[in-house]
Amino acid sequence: MTVKNNASLTITEEFAAKVKTDNQKERLMKWAPVGVLVLLVVVFSVLKGSSFFSTNNFVAILNQWSLPLLVALGLTFVIMIGSIDLSIDGTVGMVGSITAICVANSKNTSNMGMAGLLLAVAAAVVIGFIIGIIHVKFKIPSFMVSFAFMNICVGIGMLSYSGKPATIRDPFMTALPKASFLGVPVITWIALVVLVICYYIQECTPFGRHVYAVGTDEMIPRAVGININHVKIKVFTLAGFCYGVAGVIGALRLGQGQIAIGTGQMFPAQAAVVIGGTALSGGKGGVINTVVGTLIMTVLINGLTMMGVDPNIKTGVQGLIILVAVILTIRRGSTVVSK
Amino acid sequence: MSKIKINKSHFATYFSLAVIVCLIIIFTIMEKSFLNGSNVNNLLSDTAPLMVMAAGMTPVILLGSIDLSVGALCSVTNVLVVSVIMNFKDSIYTDWFILTVALAVTFIFSILAGILLGVIHVKLKVPSFIASLAFMSIWNSAALMISNSPIAIPKKLWGTINWYKISVGSAGLPLIIAVLLIVVYFIVLTKTPIGRGIYAVGGNERAARMSGISVDKIKIIVFAINSFCASLGAVFLMAKAKSCAPTVGDSFTLMAISSVVLGGTALIGGNGNILNTILGVFIVSIIKNGMNIASINVYWQKVVFGVILLLAIAINADRSARSSIVK
Amino acid sequence: MAEKKLLFSARNITKSFHGTQALKGVDLDVNEGEVVGLIGENGAGKSTFMKIIIGVQPQSSGEMFLHGKEFKPHDPLLANAAGIGMVYQEQSLITNLTVGQNIFFGKEKEFKQMGFINWKKMYAEAAKILDEIGCNEINPRKKVIDLNFATRQMVEIAKVINVTQKAGEDNKCLILLDEPTSVLNEGEVKRLFEEVRKLTLKGHSVIFVSHRLDEVLEISDRVYVYKDGENAGNMSIEEATEAKMYEMMVGHETTTEYYHLDKQIQPDDNVVLEARDLGCWGKFKHVSLKLHKGEILGLCGVVGSGKEEICSVISGDQKASSGELIVKGRKVNYSAPAQALKDRILMIPMERMTEGVVRGLSVEDNIALSNAKLLSNHGIVSKKTVAAQAEEWIEKLQIKTSGRDELVIQLSGGNQQKVVFARALASEADIVILNHPTRGVDVGAKEEIYGLIRDMVAAGKAIILLGDTLDECISMSNRGIIMRDGIITGEFNAAVDSKPTQVSLISMMV
Repeated sequence: MTVKNNASLTITEEFAAKVKTDNQKERLMKWAPVGVLVLLVVVFSVLKGSSFFSTNNFVAILNQWSLPLLVALGLTFVIMIGSIDLSIDGTVGMVGSITAICVANSKNTSNMGMAGLLLAVAAAVVIGFIIGIIHVKFKIPSFMVSFAFMNICVGIGMLSYSGKPATIRDPFMTALPKASFLGVPVITWIALVVLVICYYIQECTPFGRHVYAVGTDEMIPRAVGININHVKIKVFTLAGFCYGVAGVIGALRLGQGQIAIGTGQMFPAQAAVVIGGTALSGGKGGVINTVVGTLIMTVLINGLTMMGVDPNIKTGVQGLIILVAVILTIRRGSTVVSK
Repeated sequence: MSKIKINKSHFATYFSLAVIVCLIIIFTIMEKSFLNGSNVNNLLSDTAPLMVMAAGMTPVILLGSIDLSVGALCSVTNVLVVSVIMNFKDSIYTDWFILTVALAVTFIFSILAGILLGVIHVKLKVPSFIASLAFMSIWNSAALMISNSPIAIPKKLWGTINWYKISVGSAGLPLIIAVLLIVVYFIVLTKTPIGRGIYAVGGNERAARMSGISVDKIKIIVFAINSFCASLGAVFLMAKAKSCAPTVGDSFTLMAISSVVLGGTALIGGNGNILNTILGVFIVSIIKNGMNIASINVYWQKVVFGVILLLAIAINADRSARSSIVK
Repeated sequence: MAEKKLLFSARNITKSFHGTQALKGVDLDVNEGEVVGLIGENGAGKSTFMKIIIGVQPQSSGEMFLHGKEFKPHDPLLANAAGIGMVYQEQSLITNLTVGQNIFFGKEKEFKQMGFINWKKMYAEAAKILDEIGCNEINPRKKVIDLNFATRQMVEIAKVINVTQKAGEDNKCLILLDEPTSVLNEGEVKRLFEEVRKLTLKGHSVIFVSHRLDEVLEISDRVYVYKDGENAGNMSIEEATEAKMYEMMVGHETTTEYYHLDKQIQPDDNVVLEARDLGCWGKFKHVSLKLHKGEILGLCGVVGSGKEEICSVISGDQKASSGELIVKGRKVNYSAPAQALKDRILMIPMERMTEGVVRGLSVEDNIALSNAKLLSNHGIVSKKTVAAQAEEWIEKLQIKTSGRDELVIQLSGGNQQKVVFARALASEADIVILNHPTRGVDVGAKEEIYGLIRDMVAAGKAIILLGDTLDECISMSNRGIIMRDGIITGEFNAAVDSKPTQVSLISMMV
């Protein structure tokens, strides 16, 4: 910066100049995720040719994208208020397990059909709501509450089928995962519908605006009379809804209700949200960022699997990505106290 | 430390003791064999790994930080130490030599892992929960890559793990080591400059920094020792099971944190007595052992521990919150 | 000339905090369509008064009247509803939202249709408001993060106008501007003044608070001068001159005993610390100073002048971006206060509660914070040594506490400050930076602290002092440096028999 050496700049101007360059950097960084996505597609196409760059594979990617997208959508709102949600694996697994024993299945005589699916999603909504309330009323950090609930939900899920997973027998539900509409799997359409709902909530409701405010600086909305606690509770409840839909879809796709539906869902979602550009500190990013982020993660895993990489590396790579993404985007004032 | 703090921790001690007594009574009622000799022996020897990991975790929480990767680090060091031992399968070296090499490799690895986590947290300003979360997945992956399935130690190498059976009375050597570790840590925390520094940082990191305390150095050391403790726990687990398993550490993170919080140490930091962690560990161990003996569905255990953790934190929370903004 | 209608008035407002009186009975009148300027040193009471008017805190006694009726806001929202709005010094915009969204933040419900917001309608309304304050070139759909500070300031004003306008009677509002020019350059300040003029032409009133006298004189119709929590005077702009203002701004001269002037000593020739062209990007630059053994060097300036940041750099809390710092003959570059302490430099921080004491610890543990290593014997710090040290300092500094075991937060402000002093003294630091050491401390304790400071230099330490008031700075220092807007604007000598007057210095500060 040549301006730095200009001795006639006042302190105010120096400060303004610094803010300006920071903003410019941020504007560039906004496009980085899209760049990364394009780069990945190019790299894998080169390495694997038509087995990667084919309609078949792209449909497969869309299919693989649905669950992570749903999960990440819910997580996005949580991260935008500056909190975190570690309960994902448990909640999604629990919902998947409950789904299977509510609809026509091999273990019991229930046959609730759609109502069963709604019940399962409702369970997740309730869990999200409770997490929000405990976090807010008892002032326990979100990572701790959600961490405890992950274990609780895994337990509840496993209890619901006591070691022997139920296989879904409802004919409509066994057929759904295989159906497509306009070449795109129905499951993906469901995820896209939720995406649109979340986008609308984010952009077109007062709640959506308040979420940004709470994430930026809690003092500001408080000063205008907004109930921060309500915003936070709503966020966790909304996240619960997204996880619920994810769990239901996971169960339908697997054909069974098992805790494993949720296992390993959290890390890619975390990585996706951060890579997409939604800052951990909150107040920045959003649903569209998450779309790009989840695509990146899905394409990455799809490509790596195609290349025959050891499946055990997957989680490790995701952890590494989270670390690198956070390091690159974290604000670094010298007086920032991070615990 | 100050009188007030000791009073508070006295309360925590009595409360924990009362809880332990209640639990023993409850479980004995549910299943008479809870109190018989062999179960008590089992209980005591099972406790050592958790005791060691909770010992390492306590200073981390006293700082106001958290380390979610201990379970994963335990898994990977567990697999690592057995792999090193197996390396000498057909060699002529003595058992003691093999053991020493294996321990050296494992401990150095874990300490370096802890330093790495500490440096990333301190120098790159990544919050401890996310940094440790990332490492959790990295170490879990690493464990599975070293060995996808359990490896059993062949009989002829059992000389390397015989020390596990040494006991004084009904307390095995590992448990004694674990308790000694806590006592040493207690002395360090209350009577050395670094220990006092840990309480200061947990109490008010900014003030500690301004008063000239080397905050960065202290944090890195605490994370390094915590990682060492995770690997020590892994060694105990390996010796008892005479084998390793890449997912052995999974449940320990939750249990270690629960033990520390049940021992009266608040999540927000700056407050707590590591001696009480011993009681917290026993509470967790008794619950686990008791639920097994009483044949309570193992799936309930997860639910129970989750709820207990929340309750313990809620009770211990310093509600006159310094930082009214909790994320 | 048309009769100006009285919009707002305050009578005999007092405000006390734990024994210190921030406001001692101030009056204020604001007519419709007028700009009233408020000027005064730090601690003169301007911000406190503003906070009372906007309803953030209540007055201890006195009344306020709005449109002739009694006015007692319990919180800012009520003040807004009555037609009073405040633009705070710290920006209150949400950077990732748009201008329109910020203006209507919290009021989105007005545009709700079946659960969703009608953005078009909202942006149209936003455009109207921007037009009202004369800023129709600002695009309400732009994100705040993309705007420069001057524009952001206008958006803040638009936000306040929106909130107060509908509420105020006859749609006339009272806008409080607290240091609005601190982030603006010359051109932007001119713009701001044009907008303020436009506001007043429409009948709104503005209270303009600033420490920059030339700006206050330029924009105000009438000026009030505050000094030590009192009205030092007020006059219309025609009668006001800089000289008269300076005269009124300085506080009362206090007695020599208060500052223990008899104990002021002549410093050594030994230079213990030197700064050469030191700079910190955006905070201060071209700072060169020398500190001698046995000397009290005073740094004077208003908030934001850069003096606090210089101390942060010297104490190791922040890094300089240019220039050199030489301590005891060696060039240094500290990355943490711990390193500075190794060179025996320690700062007593400004914010006692958040930076000075560790809440959960006792008095004796707080005193031992900085010197635990010194106390240790083969690595062990025995309780006896900590206790003995605490007893020693409690005695020496006359700290009022029920015992060295007492939790430090239970002490009064003055005694907590003494604990922080004890910690600094126990640490054997010989270059001590005192950052507003008597802030929030009662008069009696202040005098004791001044005596303590004198004793410290007599023992051979060197001190950099940031005083709460100009008087404190002049009286306590051997030499002084004055700063404004990040650069040194003057230096002075303050030997016992030739202390400069406050008036002569204040012009370099504001």
